[in-house]
Amino acid sequence: MSTTQSKDPLPVRFAVYIGLLVIVAITFVPLYWMIVAASLPQEEFFTLPPRLLPGTHFVENVQALEARFPYLRSVWNSVFVATVYTIISLFLCALAGFAFAKYEFAYREPLFYFILATLVLPVQIMVIPMYLLMAQLGLLDTHLALILPFLANPVGIFLMRQSMLSIPDSWLDAARIDGASEFQIFYRIALPAMKPMLAALAVILFISQWNMFLYPLVILESEELFTIPLAIERLTGHHRIYFDQIMAAATIAIIPMIVLFLWLQDHFVRGFTNSM
Amino acid sequence: MSLRDKRRVQSVKTRLRTTRNGVRDSLPSFPGVPYLYILPFYVLFALFMAFPVAYTFYLSFFRYHGRGSGYILEIDLFVVEAGVPRLSNLEFVGLANYQRLFGDALFLQSVENTIVVMLLQMPLMVLVSLLVALMLNAKFMQYSGYFRTAIALPVTANYVAYSAIFLVMFAENFGFINYMLGAAGLPTVPWRSDGFWAKASLAVALDWRWMGYNMLILFAGLQGIDRRLYEAAEIDGANRWEKFRYVTLPQLRPIMLFVIILSTIGSLQLFAEPMVITDGGPANQSITVVMYMYQEAFSRFNLGYASAITYALVVFVTILAYVQLKIGGE
Repeated sequence: MSTTQSKDPLPVRFAVYIGLLVIVAITFVPLYWMIVAASLPQEEFFTLPPRLLPGTHFVENVQALEARFPYLRSVWNSVFVATVYTIISLFLCALAGFAFAKYEFAYREPLFYFILATLVLPVQIMVIPMYLLMAQLGLLDTHLALILPFLANPVGIFLMRQSMLSIPDSWLDAARIDGASEFQIFYRIALPAMKPMLAALAVILFISQWNMFLYPLVILESEELFTIPLAIERLTGHHRIYFDQIMAAATIAIIPMIVLFLWLQDHFVRGFTNSM
Repeated sequence: MSLRDKRRVQSVKTRLRTTRNGVRDSLPSFPGVPYLYILPFYVLFALFMAFPVAYTFYLSFFRYHGRGSGYILEIDLFVVEAGVPRLSNLEFVGLANYQRLFGDALFLQSVENTIVVMLLQMPLMVLVSLLVALMLNAKFMQYSGYFRTAIALPVTANYVAYSAIFLVMFAENFGFINYMLGAAGLPTVPWRSDGFWAKASLAVALDWRWMGYNMLILFAGLQGIDRRLYEAAEIDGANRWEKFRYVTLPQLRPIMLFVIILSTIGSLQLFAEPMVITDGGPANQSITVVMYMYQEAFSRFNLGYASAITYALVVFVTILAYVQLKIGGE
């Protein structure tokens, strides 16, 4: 720190803190409103002025929602698909990242830059043929069809390679001298050393699957297979819109992610800023 | 350069050298191993990326004559007849699909809507997230971490879930936002019945969802600016504005560019929000390009035309990103 540090005048500091509090308030209003709306009985929902404090009807609203649509099933589907996807994809990304970081082989650079180049392809470009392909493979309306196409994630491979560069070769050589197989070296030495990066990448992968909408909308047909985004979209699409139930559904979809965010904050921030 | 800085540079150099040598030195006991490790990516890539990208392009030159029977389209990727593969129910139409784009009022409308939403949303978002990042980066800031966490909270929201929140908040007659506007003595806004305000409601929702995310990126960029540049500017007698104008902005330019390009790409691919919040209405005033593509492909089964829309979008995104890169990077 330099000794010539100029002090900002008090009014400036005050204004900055007030400005930030206003932004925080704007951030919180929709989330707070969601919780209020989700916990009001149907008849109080439409009163003016609107209620500003949460009610006690959250469970009732969820039950009413559940009676119309198997929403909790959708929550489970989302958790299941995103978890399975994250674990397998993490493994494949780490495997490829390890190869690119730690092995010398012919065409390594062009093969790696090719993966980076695929980053620019948007998902819309694949939706129609993916639908036809899944139909041919007999995978339409299955969870497998949601997982399979996105397993090899270019961002994941890139991030794993970057962090695996920091593993000292002496560790790998020491393991080889001790008689470890190449896969054991990857699994027992490289993977455990990469825990922070794996956690950050897990967040990226989980969120990407959790948010997916257009593609599952095309692939899935049965309500009992729906993921959260499809379920909520279906709830908003009816002639008669049950706003209180929709807000209960949104609350269930968002609260676990917020808790996860507060718990794994550092990984989240790393993950979000890395995922571009 | 102080002694400490010299030492730091030296240590970074050593680290770089060992890393680079390290990569060259390590050899697996079996030469095929690295190929085995990267194989899954290339197999999955070939099947689920390369093939679809090429097939969409291919389809964009055809007209599909089959039907959709409810959910399943009656189409085969390839039909083998007498040992010869041919495409089912597809008639080659050359560039007809692309020609149709330019005379299709609804397509042009969707392009216009998408651009209007982007213009309403992006400048405000970039400006506010830059302002917030600057405030959080102030020297005296004591609770930066807490503020960052609170402001970044919306990034956890699922696209459709937060869209549902805004759908309810923007309801015209009893919605929370109109009520608050009324309570503040302001006129209420026809969010759902007016084309412009429908687009504005999408812009508001997008700003809410993405402001914190962009703030995090810009904040990281601000943290990366060398403090000594500010000290040098102070010695030269620069005031607050001059420091911002001649140090912060130029240093932050690559990251600003990154944020703007990513937001542009994101805006052009808008789908979940218009689907849920406005349902494209009123009267297609907020239908977006991707929404239109989805409807053409999966409601009207115009697979060829929908493929042409997709490629038009990709070309459009690429050109816009390129132009921004040229302008921003000089």
